[in-house]
Amino acid sequence: MAANTQQSLPAPSCRRRNHALLALTLGMALGTASIAAAQDSPDFFRQNCLNCHTVGGGRLTGPDLKNVSERKDREWLIGFMMDPKSYIDRGDSYALKILQESRNVPMPVLPGMTRERCENLLDLIEAESKLEESQFKGLQISNKPFTDADRTLGRDIFLGTRRLENGGAACISCHSMHDTPLLGGGALAADRRAADLTNVYERLDGRKSLSAWLAAPATETMQPIFKQHPFTGDEIHALAAYFESSAGESPAQPAAGRVAFLLIGLIGASALVFAFDSIWKRRFTGVRRPLVDDTSLRIPQPTEVP
Amino acid sequence: MNIRSQVSMVFHLDKCIGCHTCSIACKNVWTDRKGAEYMWWNNVETKPGTGYPTKWEDQEKYKGGWESNGNGKLDIKSTSKARIVPNIFHNPHMPSMDDYYEPWTYDYQNLFNAKEGPDQPTAEPISMIDGEKIDVQAGPNWDDDLGGSPIYAENDPNLEGLTEQQRLQLSSVERLVFFYLPRICNHCLNPCCVASCPSGALYKRGEDGIVLIDQQKCRAWRSCVAACPYKKTYFNWFTGKSEKCILCFPRLETGQAPACFHSCVGRIRYLGVLLYDADRLEEVAKLPDDQLVEGQRSLILDPHDSAVIAQAKKDGISDGVIESAQKSPVYRFVMEWKIALPPHVEYRTLPMLFYVPPMSPVQASKPEDTIHHETEDLFHDIDSSRVPMKFLANLFGAGHEGGVRYALAKQKAVRWHRRAETVGDISRDLADRILHEANCTREEADEIHKLTSLCTFEDRFVIPPMHREQAIEMMKEPHEHREETGFGFVGGPRRGL
Repeated sequence: MAANTQQSLPAPSCRRRNHALLALTLGMALGTASIAAAQDSPDFFRQNCLNCHTVGGGRLTGPDLKNVSERKDREWLIGFMMDPKSYIDRGDSYALKILQESRNVPMPVLPGMTRERCENLLDLIEAESKLEESQFKGLQISNKPFTDADRTLGRDIFLGTRRLENGGAACISCHSMHDTPLLGGGALAADRRAADLTNVYERLDGRKSLSAWLAAPATETMQPIFKQHPFTGDEIHALAAYFESSAGESPAQPAAGRVAFLLIGLIGASALVFAFDSIWKRRFTGVRRPLVDDTSLRIPQPTEVP
Repeated sequence: MNIRSQVSMVFHLDKCIGCHTCSIACKNVWTDRKGAEYMWWNNVETKPGTGYPTKWEDQEKYKGGWESNGNGKLDIKSTSKARIVPNIFHNPHMPSMDDYYEPWTYDYQNLFNAKEGPDQPTAEPISMIDGEKIDVQAGPNWDDDLGGSPIYAENDPNLEGLTEQQRLQLSSVERLVFFYLPRICNHCLNPCCVASCPSGALYKRGEDGIVLIDQQKCRAWRSCVAACPYKKTYFNWFTGKSEKCILCFPRLETGQAPACFHSCVGRIRYLGVLLYDADRLEEVAKLPDDQLVEGQRSLILDPHDSAVIAQAKKDGISDGVIESAQKSPVYRFVMEWKIALPPHVEYRTLPMLFYVPPMSPVQASKPEDTIHHETEDLFHDIDSSRVPMKFLANLFGAGHEGGVRYALAKQKAVRWHRRAETVGDISRDLADRILHEANCTREEADEIHKLTSLCTFEDRFVIPPMHREQAIEMMKEPHEHREETGFGFVGGPRRGL
């Protein structure tokens, strides 16, 4: 028995050592990250929060955060910031209230929201709340009325026929609209993993919040794409015009897209088969088998004797 | 003039008894390996019949050989530099295993291991490809001796041009006929397989003209399989390399006849060197069909001519090879007596294996109970032979009867002459007249008779000195080479680069 235990020892101890190493590495990484976080909280807020929230600028998609620490205790706020989804899932009454006010657009789970970062952000919001004019009062959104030209431009940007100035990906790569062609948005749209944007104008409560959102999209998927390649003001204006024009339309049917995808695939495959068949029409297709089959037909078969 | 030497062959079809000993000798020596089970570098076919692979002579299907495209150039029928690329994943003219046959063996173990039961255990056929039981439906000599005639014999491509009546007669009582056609690689002067290879793996040996595939260079394109009109290159599915008859060059280099020649019980095979003019190859390969046989003969040079000898020496042919060419039985059959003809010369590969066309019995009919022969003479006229002249002409003259008629007439004359000499029941005058009609003399007839019937090993196989030491000398010191040989190869051919 003793021998057995000894023999089985090395494996777990080895694993434990690995765990220790991993913890150390992670700890060091987080340590560096937190120091950085304290310094760039305003930048972080601008990139991740400002698209839905202002401080003293009225609500966008999400509520105005001025004096937010007076509305709920700090522990609740930090918990909600780190994982809003779990609060909604477990039916927290205040979380559900916010969700309803935000027209059922939930706060995304943001990457890199550590306890320390949340503390820093709350400190920042508290400090900003005390100021007369917060630097996060909101973006300057143009009030120009939408024209038909804007809407056409917006559609072109959405479809990708017009390049984005800073090189971002066209919306249709992932999203569909009521009037996008079949298979628009591809598999992501078909599976509803990327939203259909037909009614996004109403969902996000109008021009102001929509434009704010587009200024710095903060979801897990969009942020890494648009952080380096943001939309310009004109592009946001055009897209907003396009989204506004789609109000009241019924969204694209993902099921229809999937059927079309299958059909196009089948038709394409059979067309290829016929194409290759005609290219190699005079190919060698076997001699012996046809010879035997053809001739056997001509020869009367002997009748079987019972 | 650019003189080269070529080891050439004659198969005397009048002597072949179709025993397949040659095929078995070859199989045992060379193709008794995994992936080569279906290959028969030497095979014997029954004619009329479709042969192996089935209907290989039908170039409308197989696209083998050369074709002249009008502007005075010869093109490979199956492929070209431009066609290699679009067909890179699919060569459209490749025969499948079914056109050869699926090789099989028998489940002999069952004879010993079967459970006790009311019946004798049997050894069922099992495939040599996947080891499963198979229903054997084809083989390399499936139509042997007119087996399955209504399918195979009736579809022989050489029957083209025969009247309906002639075709029917081929299978009627007292007219039925067949003969055998043993086939190996022809080691052509204008080999289509060599020309088609995109990897340059095939080559014609400079010293003796044997066509070989470099197993290191072969990249499994299989262009040679499609290009060879005689279907004598085969793809080994196990090693991923193509293989073909090597004319037993390791045996030739040590002065022995190739295995199939050595084992031939009918003694139908002859081997010897021919000298030919390589400068005129292209010109001859482009000749119209009816001039091809004569054109190919014109390439072959007289080894007794002093001008030829001088030029041959200048072109690096050794004295031993020239001497061997002077004694070559092939030269006598092909050039002196002109009774050996190349097969399917219309493929324009200039094959260097020649066939003496076979005699066949006289036609007869059986109107009532007695058999009625068309002629009462001892030896019948060649036109009343059971094998139609047109059939032989399709095989050995690109459809033109002249060469075949000449060869058969001379063979008949030799028989009349020998009958007059040995039995004496035929008048000498009659025999001489027939000899004269066949453009033959008594001396020549005696020589033909001797080399046909009374030939020794040394008469049949005049193997030239191969001078390997000279070939080796070009690469390394011969003595050094001698110390290193005899230990075999490091590894056999295998797939991949």
